[in-house]
Amino acid sequence: MVGPFERCVASETEQETVRSTRGESLVSMNVEHINPFIESVHELFETMLGINVSRGNIGVSTGSNNPREIMALIGLSGPARGAVSISFPASTALRLVEQLLGVETRVIDDTVSDGVAEVVNIIAGSAKAKFVTDGGTPIELSLPTVFRGSDFRVDYPTQSVWLEVPFNTDLGPFSMRVTFDFEESKTKEGDSA
Amino acid sequence: MKALVVDDSAVMRKVLIGALARAGISDVDQAADGQEAVNSCNANDYGLVLMDWNMPNMLGIDAVRAIRGAGKTMPIIMVTTEAEKSRVIEALKAGANNYIIKPFEPAHIVTKIQEVLGAAG
Repeated sequence: MVGPFERCVASETEQETVRSTRGESLVSMNVEHINPFIESVHELFETMLGINVSRGNIGVSTGSNNPREIMALIGLSGPARGAVSISFPASTALRLVEQLLGVETRVIDDTVSDGVAEVVNIIAGSAKAKFVTDGGTPIELSLPTVFRGSDFRVDYPTQSVWLEVPFNTDLGPFSMRVTFDFEESKTKEGDSA
Repeated sequence: MKALVVDDSAVMRKVLIGALARAGISDVDQAADGQEAVNSCNANDYGLVLMDWNMPNMLGIDAVRAIRGAGKTMPIIMVTTEAEKSRVIEALKAGANNYIIKPFEPAHIVTKIQEVLGAAG
């Protein structure tokens, strides 16, 4: 589950630090499973956008109430259950879409929503393929959903664990949140998912 | 030569239209899902189709099957986040000529388009 961007992923020490913050409740998410998603962020920004990206420390997310955010969310199903969200400050979202399209973008509109939706789609799609090898059953993606506005709050049920990874780029900061439960045995060829 | 770009993301359609322009193709129609793509292919003669996989209403893979089932032989390139080997095989069996995985390098997709059109003669 590592590729050319493996230098960016969470080390064993860092994974253990995250585990220790929530103890047994983290049983529902293997911290190592965050790494394919981190790699996919690097792949998207560095390969497709030509933008340098660096990440901060991985933590356990308690939700979000940042009114400046625009957030894109996508679900995963089949041999895995989970979701990925990418939250951008408005300024980062605008510059991201500018970079994608090569045209000036000044307001958060449907085009920007569409752009951040495609970003979460690509990151989740690229990450899910890293879990399934040897012709196993692919993890399925939902269609992405975008939340935007001046005042919204995201809460998570206490049973679910979301890991959060902050990133910084030449376009500005953003964060990724992932909740993910993956059963490798369900991806073997011949199994139905 | 006229091309069709099929993707539910308007931003990605614009990115792909830009790549087509760099490959020398400026006459481009757009479709936002597989069903729109099938309808457009039935009503037009395209020299190339760029097809996403995950879309509402009809998946790209089902659109490829429908287009080939209607006897259309233009080159179809899947441009998708679906990177698993089984997906690539499924697409090629359905009649896709080539496969580009998102994220892609902008220059790579232009090269791939030119390769596919060259092979199609």
